[in-house]
Parts: sequence; structure tokens; C-alpha cells
Amino acid sequence: MSATLTAPQTPRSDDGRRRPTAGTARRTLARFLRPELLPIAGTLLTLVIMLVLGESRYGGERGFVSVKLFSNLLQDNAYLLVLAIGMTFVIITGGIDLSVGAVVALVGLVIATLLPAGVPLPLVLVISVLIGSTFGLLIGVLVQYFAIQPFIASLAAMFLARGLANVVSVQSLAITDEGFSSMASWSLKFGEGRDISKINLSMIIAVAVLALAFYLLHYTRFGRTVYGLGVGDDGNAVELMGLRAGRTRLWVYVISGTCAGIAGILFAFYTKSGYNLTGIGMELDAIAAVVIGGTILTGGAGYVLGTGVGVVVYGLIQVLIAREGLDSWWTKVFIGVVLLAFVILQRAIAARKKK
Amino acid sequence: MSDVRRAPAVPAWRKVTQHRLFWPVVALVVLIVACGIKNPTFLSVEIRDGHLFGQLIDIARFSATPLLLALGMALVIATGGIDLSVGAVMAISLAVSLTYLDGNPNADSAGTVVVAVLLGIVVALVAGAFNGFLVSVLGVQPFIATMILMVAGRGVAMLITQGQITTVTSAPFKYLGSGFVLGIPTPVVIAAVMFVAVAILVRRTALGMLLESIGINREASRLAGVQSRNITWFVYVLAGMLAGIAGIVYGAPTMAADANNIGLMKEMDAIMCVVLGGTALAGGKFYLGGTVVGALILSTIERAVVIFHIPSQITPLFKAVVIIAVCIAQSPRLREYLKPRRPQRPRSIVPAALAVKEAV
Repeated sequence: MSATLTAPQTPRSDDGRRRPTAGTARRTLARFLRPELLPIAGTLLTLVIMLVLGESRYGGERGFVSVKLFSNLLQDNAYLLVLAIGMTFVIITGGIDLSVGAVVALVGLVIATLLPAGVPLPLVLVISVLIGSTFGLLIGVLVQYFAIQPFIASLAAMFLARGLANVVSVQSLAITDEGFSSMASWSLKFGEGRDISKINLSMIIAVAVLALAFYLLHYTRFGRTVYGLGVGDDGNAVELMGLRAGRTRLWVYVISGTCAGIAGILFAFYTKSGYNLTGIGMELDAIAAVVIGGTILTGGAGYVLGTGVGVVVYGLIQVLIAREGLDSWWTKVFIGVVLLAFVILQRAIAARKKK
Repeated sequence: MSDVRRAPAVPAWRKVTQHRLFWPVVALVVLIVACGIKNPTFLSVEIRDGHLFGQLIDIARFSATPLLLALGMALVIATGGIDLSVGAVMAISLAVSLTYLDGNPNADSAGTVVVAVLLGIVVALVAGAFNGFLVSVLGVQPFIATMILMVAGRGVAMLITQGQITTVTSAPFKYLGSGFVLGIPTPVVIAAVMFVAVAILVRRTALGMLLESIGINREASRLAGVQSRNITWFVYVLAGMLAGIAGIVYGAPTMAADANNIGLMKEMDAIMCVVLGGTALAGGKFYLGGTVVGALILSTIERAVVIFHIPSQITPLFKAVVIIAVCIAQSPRLREYLKPRRPQRPRSIVPAALAVKEAV
């Protein structure tokens, strides 16, 4: 469709003859300029710009771009990657999940409360994930069976999760459990001296979730249905094709909630504490990572691997701000600006498509 | 429409019970009576030094901030949008006002305070205009557009206060939060004035109806000649301005601009006031009078929690449960599901609220 849009507008070469090389080039260009690929081009461009910027400013003799950089990025943002993966499913269906940050806070507090109470660690972890799933299920039921708009349903769930977190504790609780700490600090180390890079449990879990999500979205009937739901016809086309629209819509929220539960555990690994005010604005970080990763906010198109790149860009923004010596609240402002830029880009593409 | 013509046949008591404010008002009265039974001094209002004092007056005072936020929120929700940034805008406007006062040697003069307040309100207006621009001109979904400001706005407030909790002493500024006008607390007066102003603006002109038409069907209203873009933009500007005023009123008694905590989760309070007042979150019809009742219920609950010695951490949970319950009660699916059970009933018996929703 996009090819037919671009091809006639391209002027012919001066002598009127179509040179084969020019034709190929044009087609390649047209292919590259396919509207649905533009956001991902923006993603990669942003990534390259940030890496070049980092290298030129802080490269020095040891270099900025290194295995260690990416290892650190993934280590610091493993929880965000998991959140963003769940969010990708929801956004592709044209929905949204604003509750994830609050669920992360709730899970952290539940872990910090249950472990000292003598509940065995595996059970605590299972409960944590299930808390996330339950919130996802709640949103899914509200959206699917009560026809409440996703942002309202998930906003209500966010209030509920924050409310519950407040009931658990308004203090910051440290997690001192030995088993939990050893899980959090376990890691495989590579390299030597200052170039040491690590692979820890959070990274492995995050990458496993990414791989699973990739398989689900691109190689299963469920994944097809997720994309089909996002075309904006309330799932009618998907229904007509014999796919289960309603059940899938419910499941994407359960997936997002479950991811939030897992992310809550990873975040607890990372901070070794639970606090009811953590994760405020985390939903925006996750949405930003998804949108930067090239998923269209109105649904229907997106790539879960793009989300991975989006998380890396998010992490790079944080790193660059820290290296510049700016205060951490600049991160919020920058993320807002970058998200805005991508949303506007998407709107521009959508407007062009309509013409 | 047929409901309206048949209305005289409905008995008087049913007219009262069918009024859409009936249940919210009942809830409010029950709460107040319960508090009064538990604590008899609750209901007493006395005049001290010509000022009104008492728990009920406190409730009215604490209702001012959520009401100011909810007035703007109700209009935004009526257009089918939402403004998640109100809490952050509160923080920004307070930060601007207090930072201006902080750097000014004449912080105690009324003129300086007027300038400081105006500055805060203008910045809030700009924030609202930013939201409105994203929503109405660029067509970004309202919850994304306003969420950007909800998160980044706190960063902006932090930049203004430079990460400090700016505190100043200024008697005229404090007066805005804890003073009295003719014996009535200033915040109550401010909220009442804004309520009347907004009510006149939307109900004495066609604006309110146009807002509702946008919320019911944006495209249809546009085709009918409603300037939906400008009106939507205007509503976000108004919500921003009201949030700015709310921030100043809220922060005035303590005069400390804590960018991290001022207005935190206040969007929840505002949304709760709006839904308690009978406005559907999906947009369309809105009820400003109901919003006032919602704000009073909200602050009465907060006071009741103290009187009944309930741990105050439970309040947000309670608010969340109320919002979810109201959302489910308003959901079109639930109503569809309940309807077939009594297919033979004449339509005039369908509760008024239901009939209104159907008209929508």
C-alpha cells in the first residue's frame, strides 16, 4: 500500500528512460520508507545518535560503547524490560496498562513483608507473580466484560494497587532474607579488572521473557490475534477470521499484569527493599520504552524486539544524564520529551497514511 | 424524551429518590450523622473571633482543593478525555509562586503575593495549554498526553525549586490557605467563587452542552459545526488553571514547595469527586453540582477515618474500591446485562440516572 503511495510521486529520471539501478534504488527507498517501518527507523536512529554522543563525549581511551555498558544497561533496566514487554502486548491491541508501576510497588512490599513472616521463598515468589496476574485479570475483565476503556480500568487498578500497598506499609521495608539476597547477588562474571561484566539472574529472566514474548507474538495464533485486535474495529475482523478476540483481549492484560509481577520481583532484587512510593511514573517509563521501540500507540503494529531497543535507549538516557552530572529528575523531563517526540512522529505518519 | 413528558405522573418521593444526586447526598448525610454519633462535638459549629470554627467547617475547607481540581477534571472528562497531570501542575504552580516569593525581599507585601500567585496561575495555564495542544491539535490520546506532564511536570517542579523544599514566610500568602473572609475560610470562598464562575460559564452559555456533545461523539459534533478542537483545548487550559489555583490554596498554609509530594495522587481524588457526582468517566454528561457533593464526601471520609480511629493508610484503598465500584455500576455492559431481566417494565420506572445514560 505504501509502495503505491510513494512510487508515482517519485519523478522520473531526466531522459525519460528508467534506469534499472535507479528503479532498484527507488524501490529500496520506498521499502525503507514504508510507514510502519518509519518508527523503527526512528528507534535505531535514536540509538545510534545516543551511542555516538556517548562515545564522542565520554569515549576516552577505554571507550564508551562496550560489552560492559550493555551489561550494565540490562542489569539496571531488567525490570523495565519485563514491564515494557508486557506493555507491548497491551499497546499492540490498542489498549494501555497504567497499573504496572503500582503493582511493582505492591509486589516489593509484599515480598518485604512475607519473607520475615517465615513464608518460604519459592512461595513468596509465586505469590508475587500471581498478584500481578490478578491485577491483570481484573483489568482484563473490566475491559472485556464491562466494556470499560482500558485507561480507566487500569487507572482504577493502579489506585487499587497503590491503596493496597499503603495498607501493607507506608514505611520503606528492607529485604534482608538470605535466600532472596543470594538470588539477587548471584552472577556470572566475564572479563577482568575494570572491564568486568556480569550476567545476573534478573538479566537471564528478562531475556527469557523477551524470547518467550517474541515467540508468542510472531509465531503463534495468539500473537496474530493480538495484532488483529489493534486495527481498531473492536476485534470484528479477528472474530470473522475465527480467532478468539475476547479471550485474547483478556489475556493480554493478564500477560501485562504477570510481567508487572515478575518486574516487581526483579525490582526488589535490584533495590532489596519495598516502598509504597516506588514506581510512580514507572508506567510512563514502560510506555516510553515501548513507543520508542517503534510500537504504534494506537495499536496494530509493533515489535517486541523494538521494545528491547527502546529499553536500551531509555537506559542510555539515564547513563548520559548521570555522566553529564545532571540531577536525576532531568531523566523524567528527558523521557517525557523523547516520548513526546516519538508520539508526534507517529501522529505525523498516521496523518500521512490517511492522505 | 418520552420520560420527560410522563414525569408528572411520577410520585413526589420517587422524584426525590430518582434525582441523580440522591444517593451521593444520602452517602454524605449518613457519613456526617455517623461521625456525629461517634463524636458529638463533630456537628457543632461555633464562632470564635468572628470566624467559623468546627469540624464541619474543616471538612468544607479540605474540600476546596479536590473541588478545584475536580471542576476542571469534570469538564475534561465530559469531552471524553482525562487530565492525569493535575497533581504535577499543582506542584509546578506552587513551586513557581514560592520560588518567586523566596527571592523577593518584600515577600510580606500584598502586591508581591498577588504577582506570585498570578505567576503560578499563568504557569499552570501554560501547562494546561500544553496538554490541550497535544490532545486537540496533535491528536495524542489524553491519558498519554497528560501523563507526560504528570511525570515530567514533577521534574520541572524540581528544577524550579532546584531540588530543595522551598519554604517562605509571607502572611498574605498564608492567608490564602488559612485565613477567613467574613468568617468563612478563604479556601472555601475561593472554591465557591470558582465553582460559580465555571457553572455560569458552562451552564449559562452553550459551552456545557457543546462539551457534552464532544464527549458523546466528537466527529458528529464536529460535523454539526461544533469547534471541537478549540473547545477541547480550552477545557485543558481551564483544568490547568484550576489545578494551579488548587496548588496555591493547598500549599499556602504550610508554604513549603515540596515538588515530590505536593499533589501526589491528587488526580485520584479529583477523578473520585467527579465519578461520585454522577459524571461517567466515558465522557458526555457532566454534573458540577454532583462534583461538589463528591468533594464533600471525599473530605468527610478522610475526617471519618480519623474519628473512627481507622488507620489512615486505608483511605486510598477505600477510594480505589469506590472508583472501581462506580465504574462497574456505570458500565454499559452491566446495564445491558441487567435490562433483559425485566423486559415488561414501562420505561418510566427505569431510574432517572439510567434514563439519562440511555439518552446519552
